[in-house]
Amino acid sequence: MKSHLFIYGLAIFVRVFLIYSDYREDIADRIEISTPLNSFNRILESYYRMSIGVDPYSSDVLHESPLHLHFYKHLIENTGQYLPLVFVFCDVLTAYLLYLFAKKYIFHLRIEQYVNMNLYLKHLKDQMLKVTDNEAIPLYVTVMYLFNPYIIFNCVACTTTTFLNLCLATFLYGICSGSVIIGSVSLAIATLQSLYPVILISALYLSILKYQKSMLKAVMSVVLCISLLAVFIFSSYCLMKSWNFIPQTYGFILQVSDQQPNIGIYWYFFMEMFEHFKELFIYSYQINVTILYFIPLTIKFRKDPILLGVCFIMLTGIFKSYPSIGDFGFSLALLPVMKYMYNCMQQIFVSIVAIITTTTLAPILWNLWIYWGSANANFFFGTTLAFITAHIFILTDVSFAHSKHDYLLKYGNDRTINGQPAKLVLG
Amino acid sequence: MGLLTDPSAGQSKIIKILMKYYSKFCIILYLGGIIAFCMLAYRPFNAETYFSENALLPGLVRSEYRDGSTPHVYYRELLDEMEKYESKIPYSWLLAKFKQLGLDTYTHNFTLNYPLGKSQKFTGKNVYGILRAARAASTESVVLSVPYRPPLSIHQTTAPAIAIMLAFAKFANKEKYWAKDIIFLVTEHEQLGMQAWLEAYHGISGGKRGTLNAGDMRGRAGAIQAAINLELHSIEIGEIDIKIEGLNGQLPNLDLFNLATRMCAKEGVSHTFKNRIPRRYTDPVKDWKYTFQTMLSMVATQATGIPNGNHGLFYRFGIQALTLEGFANSKDKLGFITIGRILEGTFRSLNNLLERFHQSFFFYLLASSDRYVSIGLYIPTIAALAATLFIKAYAKWCLLHDEEENSENKDALNKTLIDESGDHNPITRDSFTLQQWEEKLKSDTTDLNQKPKVHLGHICSVFVIAHLVGFGLKELPTYFAKIGVQFGYTTESSIYIGLALSTALIILVPIFIKKPSYSSMIVLDIFALLEMGNLLICVAMYNISLAMFCGAVYIPFALLLSPTRCRLCSIIQKICWILLHPFVLATITVFAYTFFVFWNELVDQILFKALSATQQAIMFSIVDSMVYGNWLFSVACTIMTSNWICFWYMCQYRPTIEEVTRKTEVSKQKVD
Repeated sequence: MKSHLFIYGLAIFVRVFLIYSDYREDIADRIEISTPLNSFNRILESYYRMSIGVDPYSSDVLHESPLHLHFYKHLIENTGQYLPLVFVFCDVLTAYLLYLFAKKYIFHLRIEQYVNMNLYLKHLKDQMLKVTDNEAIPLYVTVMYLFNPYIIFNCVACTTTTFLNLCLATFLYGICSGSVIIGSVSLAIATLQSLYPVILISALYLSILKYQKSMLKAVMSVVLCISLLAVFIFSSYCLMKSWNFIPQTYGFILQVSDQQPNIGIYWYFFMEMFEHFKELFIYSYQINVTILYFIPLTIKFRKDPILLGVCFIMLTGIFKSYPSIGDFGFSLALLPVMKYMYNCMQQIFVSIVAIITTTTLAPILWNLWIYWGSANANFFFGTTLAFITAHIFILTDVSFAHSKHDYLLKYGNDRTINGQPAKLVLG
Repeated sequence: MGLLTDPSAGQSKIIKILMKYYSKFCIILYLGGIIAFCMLAYRPFNAETYFSENALLPGLVRSEYRDGSTPHVYYRELLDEMEKYESKIPYSWLLAKFKQLGLDTYTHNFTLNYPLGKSQKFTGKNVYGILRAARAASTESVVLSVPYRPPLSIHQTTAPAIAIMLAFAKFANKEKYWAKDIIFLVTEHEQLGMQAWLEAYHGISGGKRGTLNAGDMRGRAGAIQAAINLELHSIEIGEIDIKIEGLNGQLPNLDLFNLATRMCAKEGVSHTFKNRIPRRYTDPVKDWKYTFQTMLSMVATQATGIPNGNHGLFYRFGIQALTLEGFANSKDKLGFITIGRILEGTFRSLNNLLERFHQSFFFYLLASSDRYVSIGLYIPTIAALAATLFIKAYAKWCLLHDEEENSENKDALNKTLIDESGDHNPITRDSFTLQQWEEKLKSDTTDLNQKPKVHLGHICSVFVIAHLVGFGLKELPTYFAKIGVQFGYTTESSIYIGLALSTALIILVPIFIKKPSYSSMIVLDIFALLEMGNLLICVAMYNISLAMFCGAVYIPFALLLSPTRCRLCSIIQKICWILLHPFVLATITVFAYTFFVFWNELVDQILFKALSATQQAIMFSIVDSMVYGNWLFSVACTIMTSNWICFWYMCQYRPTIEEVTRKTEVSKQKVD
């Protein structure tokens, strides 16, 4: 308990210190942190436009849903100068929810291990989860979230990704505890904000099915989520009295119309591309994020819907049209729950090193490109490409290690068929 | 895709080979990197310079400048004027001359609030005239600048450069073909004036806020495309040296450098780079030696990150610039006409530019004024050096992992086997409620409570505290200076003493801090190695020379460092690492350099000189970081020193006998 208090206290101190230091402006202006979709400056601007009676969606400033805008409006009006502290609070709350989620998830995993224990090889039982992991892994998750530089900077810059992360953490907690209400409400809000979380709906369905053992509840949760989303969108319409906001929010996300550089890869492709090819590539990219992996991963991980959810969160973080480091920080914080299959992850060290290197190189090359004029866009894009690739490696590692770990426990380390070395293939 | 989907659960063959031979790999990569870097100067490994930007059209027009008497008149007038002001810029005369020529003439005032010690203020004045282009609307411009040096200056005079600049302005003003404005700029106080002018022109501040008050200016001429800084030390020029090294090791576009060499060659002036004429020997060894010395001298200048002329400050603003420094020599005696024609040719070429310099190279090394090494050739050498660190980190990681696995396996064999209750009555999830499961799993006896062997919290806090110390060290000198001045010390010696004391403290404190297990030390080693590798790569993007220097010095020791029980080895290790502390290293370097330069003087005199040189070097690097935004001091404090603390902390660890034997066991198993 003491260590928890210390961790939370230190995390709050670091955030508050940075928020009230001179570095805040510089942090908030970084393109790796603030994208057109999550920049808080844009919210402030839109709030002002709204308060003088101009339609906030009439310009290219705001890309969040009207409900979110009204939520921010209340925040701005009611908290005043303490506004950044709301973000700190949300961040800490997210960390706590992730802690609860990890605890639940490890608990479920251990039940599964116990059930399947007779199938596992005896000498490998040490590779299974232990009683100590019950406490240790959730703690690692908390620390990974609270002291992750990506998350700290994201919080200090007051981006709206903080709220998205909160929703996703709530969602994970919800599906882990088999709660229909928490799961579907948080998913609906997350989808309303940034659209891509919609693919998590299969994780919602499968987990309710698994933990509640009732088809009816599972279907209900999906229906509830979709109808809530419809209600949200319709009430947005009622608030704005026009459908103007649809092209400015979801259209903006799907069409990738703002090519300001960010940590992702879309900006470069669409900047370099001839205009008449754009449509084709937008379709292929968006299908890549949403539909392409949706069905195969759902089938593959149908027995472990939580892992499915985690994979989808990582996937959308990587391939969304305006990623920021807040998204990557969130998926990195989820890695410790995979500790049990760490043995089966091959490139984890290389990937982590690549992430660290590209994270330090990116601002330097940005500086050389934009300020000194000696490097160019290709240098910066090179680092973001390597950054994304490293994340893809981690995602592949995680999804593959799941199958490998299961196999390892059942059949052991040496793989020979009739004395010949055999190779495992993902199937 | 094999890399992504190779499903083997254990270690693959490559990793096993890597683990077995990693130390040899590292040695080969390190030596290979250094040798390859040296070989870059060898003619077959570098390339001849060429023009990439064809809009420059260098030297295609016939030079029309042929006025030799006007500069002489200006020169004599200026000398008379300079006698009246011993340490100030004769701005009224310059203003009058610019106005007489019909240029838009302005002055620019700036103030330096000296950041260290007693609060002092220095003021200065720049004078500039703008020749408005006949064929464009002041959207783009080029700069011709001369640093004004009063008679009392310790540097060589630049009066002839001012004279020829005025004469060239007179000539240029009559021509109709200018499409870019030309700014004729005379700056005061060397680089300070230049920095202030640039900051005022662009309305930003490069250093610490409030240090250099650049003020505002009344006249501007659009975006500056290129700048030529002219320094002539005599009215009869024998050779022209072209200088390019800028702030933080940045360089101008190679096309601009090529343009300058081409113009000098066209007018028959012998041009040099690093005061060395391009020479060609038939003997390949001799040839390599000559070009290598040229390259090495460029590397030495670039590594300091201090501009070696006023051109170096333009790069921060995305402007390509270089310095033409003219010396008298006994061989050739070329007058003002030649210089005027060089300027004419250069500026007419720049006038042809259609867009900013963007072709050709920004990252290169020069082996002579007509041979260059591109980034594609030198990056692999520094990458090889940095790779050794990453490889060692990876090997340590695998070793750590194996060690854990080994001990776990042993435990598993010794342990009595797990309860087999599940074998007969298959349990399913639904056999119990969640509460029952919770209790069942809590009382699960199959687990054994192992102590965590890696004290991750401890290691992380050491790592973080080391960096906080680094940040503190960066901020402290201002306070050292304030305190020292009150006790009557000079600014530089109080900073030096302050830093020396903090260094001593940094060296002493880790000795008394408790150190956790051997595995924890390996984790810290991995952190430190990764940080150093990252640092090298990042620095190499700005300043390859500095990265190469740091890499060559630090990598062998970082690779060799491992906690050992052998007392002698440990003492040698500690001494080496004390010498490697950035502050100690800087002191040693300056001392060695002073001995090298003044070797024939008395020892105590040399020592005194060396000490004051060190103090000044450190103070100037701090002032540079505050005024110009030079990051050498900041990086040395915040990252290099912090990194050093991590390594130093590891030096202090003395493993127990068990740990040593286990380590040898693990590595033996590896070999088998």
